[in-house]
Amino acid sequence: MTTSPQLRASNVTISYNGALDIVSDLDFDVPQGQITSIIGPNGCGKSTLLRAMSRLMKPRLGSVLLDGQAIHQHSTREVAKMLGMLSQQLELPEMVTVEDLVRRGRYPHRSMWQPPGHDDQVAVDRAMLLAGVTDLRSRSVDELSGGQRQRAWIAMVLAQDTPMLLLDEPTTYLDIAHSREVLELAKRLNREDEKTVVMVLHDLNDAVRYSDHIVVMKDGEIVERGGPQEIANAELIRNVFGVECDIVKDANGWFCIPRSKNASIRNTTGGESDAVASESLTVGYGRVPVLKSVSVTFPDGKLSAVVGPNACGKSTLVKTIARLLKSSEGSTSVHGRPIFEGSHRDFAQRVGLLSQGAAIPTDIRVQELVMSGRFPYQRWYRQWSNEDQGEVDKALQSTHTEEFRWRSVATLSGGQRQRAWLAMALAQQTPVLMLDEPTTFLDIGHQIELLDLVSEMNCRSGLTAVMVLHDLSLACRYADYMVAMKDGRVAAAGAPEQIVSESMVREVFGVDCSVVTDEQTGRPLILPLGTANSLQARPADDASSTGAARNGSVNRTLKEPVG
Amino acid sequence: MTASARQVELMSAPRLRVLRFGGVAFVINLRTLSLILVTFVLLVAAACLAMMLGSFRLTVGEVVGSVLGTGNGEADFVIWRLRFPRTLTVAMLGGALAMSGAIFQGAVRNPLVSPDIIGINAGATLAAVFWILTDMPQGAIPLLAFVGAMSVASLVYLLSWKGHISGGRLILIGIGINALLGAGVTFLFVRYPVQQTRSALAWTVGTANNSDWADVRLLAYSLAILIPLAVALMWSLRVMQLGDTTARSVGLPIERTRLLLIAVGSTLSAFAIAVAGPIGFVALTAPHIARMIAGPMTSGVFIFTLLVGALFLMLSDIVAQHALPVSLPVGVVTAAIGAPYFLFLLYRVNARV
Amino acid sequence: MTTIKSAGRRSASVRLGRRPALVVIVVLLLFVALLSLRIGSADVSNGDALDALFSFDDSSYDQVVVRSLRVPRTLIGLGVGAALAVAGAAMQAVTRNPLAGPSIFGINGGAAFLLTLAVFVGNLTHPMQFIWFAFIGGFGAAALVYAVASAGAGGPSPVKLALAGVIVSSLLGSWMTAMLLLDEQAFEVVRFWLAGSLAGRDVEVFWWVMPFMIVGVVGIALMSNQLNILALGEDTARALGMRIRLVRFTITFLVVLMTGAAVAAAGPIGFVGLAVPHIVRVVTGPDYRWIVLYCVLVGPLLLLTADVAGRVVARPSELQVGIVTALTGAPFLIFLARQRRIAEL
Repeated sequence: MTTSPQLRASNVTISYNGALDIVSDLDFDVPQGQITSIIGPNGCGKSTLLRAMSRLMKPRLGSVLLDGQAIHQHSTREVAKMLGMLSQQLELPEMVTVEDLVRRGRYPHRSMWQPPGHDDQVAVDRAMLLAGVTDLRSRSVDELSGGQRQRAWIAMVLAQDTPMLLLDEPTTYLDIAHSREVLELAKRLNREDEKTVVMVLHDLNDAVRYSDHIVVMKDGEIVERGGPQEIANAELIRNVFGVECDIVKDANGWFCIPRSKNASIRNTTGGESDAVASESLTVGYGRVPVLKSVSVTFPDGKLSAVVGPNACGKSTLVKTIARLLKSSEGSTSVHGRPIFEGSHRDFAQRVGLLSQGAAIPTDIRVQELVMSGRFPYQRWYRQWSNEDQGEVDKALQSTHTEEFRWRSVATLSGGQRQRAWLAMALAQQTPVLMLDEPTTFLDIGHQIELLDLVSEMNCRSGLTAVMVLHDLSLACRYADYMVAMKDGRVAAAGAPEQIVSESMVREVFGVDCSVVTDEQTGRPLILPLGTANSLQARPADDASSTGAARNGSVNRTLKEPVG
Repeated sequence: MTASARQVELMSAPRLRVLRFGGVAFVINLRTLSLILVTFVLLVAAACLAMMLGSFRLTVGEVVGSVLGTGNGEADFVIWRLRFPRTLTVAMLGGALAMSGAIFQGAVRNPLVSPDIIGINAGATLAAVFWILTDMPQGAIPLLAFVGAMSVASLVYLLSWKGHISGGRLILIGIGINALLGAGVTFLFVRYPVQQTRSALAWTVGTANNSDWADVRLLAYSLAILIPLAVALMWSLRVMQLGDTTARSVGLPIERTRLLLIAVGSTLSAFAIAVAGPIGFVALTAPHIARMIAGPMTSGVFIFTLLVGALFLMLSDIVAQHALPVSLPVGVVTAAIGAPYFLFLLYRVNARV
Repeated sequence: MTTIKSAGRRSASVRLGRRPALVVIVVLLLFVALLSLRIGSADVSNGDALDALFSFDDSSYDQVVVRSLRVPRTLIGLGVGAALAVAGAAMQAVTRNPLAGPSIFGINGGAAFLLTLAVFVGNLTHPMQFIWFAFIGGFGAAALVYAVASAGAGGPSPVKLALAGVIVSSLLGSWMTAMLLLDEQAFEVVRFWLAGSLAGRDVEVFWWVMPFMIVGVVGIALMSNQLNILALGEDTARALGMRIRLVRFTITFLVVLMTGAAVAAAGPIGFVGLAVPHIVRVVTGPDYRWIVLYCVLVGPLLLLTADVAGRVVARPSELQVGIVTALTGAPFLIFLARQRRIAEL
């Protein structure tokens, strides 16, 4: 194994198309032989930094140095032999097998005239073995589960045979079990294969549990760096993510539990009757059923959450209730009326939907988007009433989107954009609101903000909300009623306190954890088990972490004004 | 416009006004309204110019006087017999084509679609060319072209239907049908002697040369029905642009709306083809120009698109008739004028982004 | 090689079939080539067709017909078919759009335009004189499209290329129609060329265009590994050390070279470039090394079949091959659109 190259960003400023700087005057040394995580709120420039460091984009000022030389002076192939980069948006034609994909990772090692040789096959086999996809080698990538697919892509990067790996949000779309699978892989590669790993991560707790070194970014600058222990401080998290949190320390390390701003408000009313009742729903795309005879109810005036691993059918359930999909069997009623009764317009006055990853037309402004929510109350000859205006204003107000009501939606950050969509759904003024993974792309601060908003609406106006949520802990905290799904069936349903247990989490998500009761809210808390204490296992850590500390101090002195 | 100026414009509030009469209320964007007025004035000016030019030149005064019914005999004859119907026809053709393009581009949410690309023009062309080459009575050609266009539109729609309409599928199938019919036309052209094919070839590039009051009446009646329908549909189209899922979650019956849109769009272009033959490029270009000036498609911008199309075709027709010693069919000129402008827009958008 | 569960079925069956299918296709291609030598307004026996190739007797009328008319025609069909199919596969990879064909650059439009201009101004009548105008016209249009699309930052994106291609094509098309309307003679000459045909070409035409086609086909075959990497998306390709702009430009250049040569030799022939890569993928899967190899064989196979069919259905005259490919290719495209989930344009 070759020694890890030295990769550093020096005084780097990056901007897109000469607009605002995404990253400004930043110094960053990649600690060699370690796992480094870059974390920070949405739009802090963490992915941009990683892209610049892997030569995918050019900084406006400053330079990225690879082994002391500006990275753009290296040939592209040289860089690709030293750095393996897994980017965020991956695309692949249909029917490419895992082995075929991994073989393509050998590209930098082969010239145009050279057929693949024995050493290429050796490297490919080794990469598949390391990533644990050897058994899947002849399967087509588009048939794999999310975690397997991500591992196949990592195997592709491994076949590049680089001493350093850069992974841009490798866990974004994955559920707990799958993201753990990927992170464990990253760790194994570091421990057993001595790869230097740099990851951009979404989840604070993942970063703490799986990395040796953490870099915290905000507004294009590094605000803190150090070992996981140093980052574990509530004040830092408040400053960076804008969210209060408690730090729980246990044998496994520490765990950060974000607190909502209005934790004291609790909804005590409602729940006497069911707002939504579905009876033995069977829904499928093509021949394979995604939902298999699901019967489920959601209580009126309460916050409900639907949780489950990837592809368990939770989004399909929500879409079916929102009348977007037709069930082949079974029926659903909302407040006692079957959903297919009445016109589309009529139904849109009863149930609203905040859908996932909606397309954004160019140049539409926030207010225009929110105005679309009033569509069910309008006619083409009666386009606007005072009531419409009032509801739009109210929706903008309650989602705190008033300040940018005339900005184009495309220019908003992830959190702002999600709030704008929520405002549109609220302007629709429906007693029932379905939210399909509203928090997926948001950082922890924005997640809390959005969920606080929904729970506030629930308390204030008795809105019945059904949310598909990714994060089990957040679901436990906010939901009054929870439905856990697995393989198209309901695995458990009830109040979180009643249904969430260690065995339930193991059964549904396939991960081990410990469940404790959060004293502040009385809701269950899910703490991950294992893995964390192995962090200190490697003796080489000390040496490299002092190295990192040294690098850090060098950077700090560099940052001080010279004159 | 510089990048920063554009930024400012996006940040600032558009000047929206709500117009109310009892239960009826319209949202009006003052900027769009002023654009509409300016374009309308330009259109009237262009129409005056079109009626002045020709082998028998007239002054502005004579044209206006004649149109208003106070002109002299000679001018009256030229204007009322020849130029006025032609000018009206051209304006309405341009408007109809531009609307049709805007509707298709919105309905399948793809800026590259127009009725000519998905085979509607080719359907009319095949029918008409066949008719001309087999020496059938010429009078039936408009009806035949209309039927050809409408049946191709229905065929494309039916073939694209698979539980729902997907924009990508509709375009693909349209391109396929277009090529199929195009091959049919080529086949007819090589089968028949060149003397006969010449008049057929002349039909394949649209022209307003022979338009009379019957054409004006036909277009006026059809537009009188279709324009209000299309404007009403724009209110839904605006929501449809947010994506199928969102549109349905706010209560838009999406497939029904799409069917209506495609039906109205096809009918508009079918009437235009029936009157003048397939005129290319207006349907594709006019909505782009309108959107680049006035922003995303709304009812107001739609009317602006209509006027842009009318103005565009009017100017093209003036060039086609008077710029060269020989008078060309207008269909040749629309591309010659539209394409460089479009390439320039493309170049400018590239340079800015 | 073990397959896991039933999910591996598609890819496994694909792998088994690739080599035997190749043999079948070669045999079919030879068979169709022989038919192409035999069939026409006057049919020729197998013996005469083969004798004309291997032991030519210039006193036999049949053998002279084969030698002077049908051999060039078959050779050009082989070359044009291969060039168009490979060019189509390469364009689909570069633009990552299953609908892209070699015609995306307005090559057909440019070739037709310059040719018409030459006929209009210079009264050309013979196909031999056509090829250079067609070739230069095609190349010029492609260069214009590429220049417009690559203006500004970001380089030529697939969408910009498609847009510029459509516009340039229709612009040149309208000017061409204007000339044809003004000059009846020109229309008489050009209309047969516009239909796309292999008939009436000298063997010399083949020798003129062959070098371009060979350079193009060999070049794309050598770059098939690059095509595989491009299919992984721009970011990944760059992360793997590919110089995307250079690779894109090179491939585009080769495509224009091949297509220009094909159009020069046979006129605009649609759908071969679009359909063949799709048909081929059913057998080869997504690996471009195999796709290109198959395209080299399946392209000529389809084009010659269409040409022979055109001679058979309209006896004693014939149907131009461009019309046959459009009439059969378009339903195939429609079928394809209904079968698969095709990415939005």
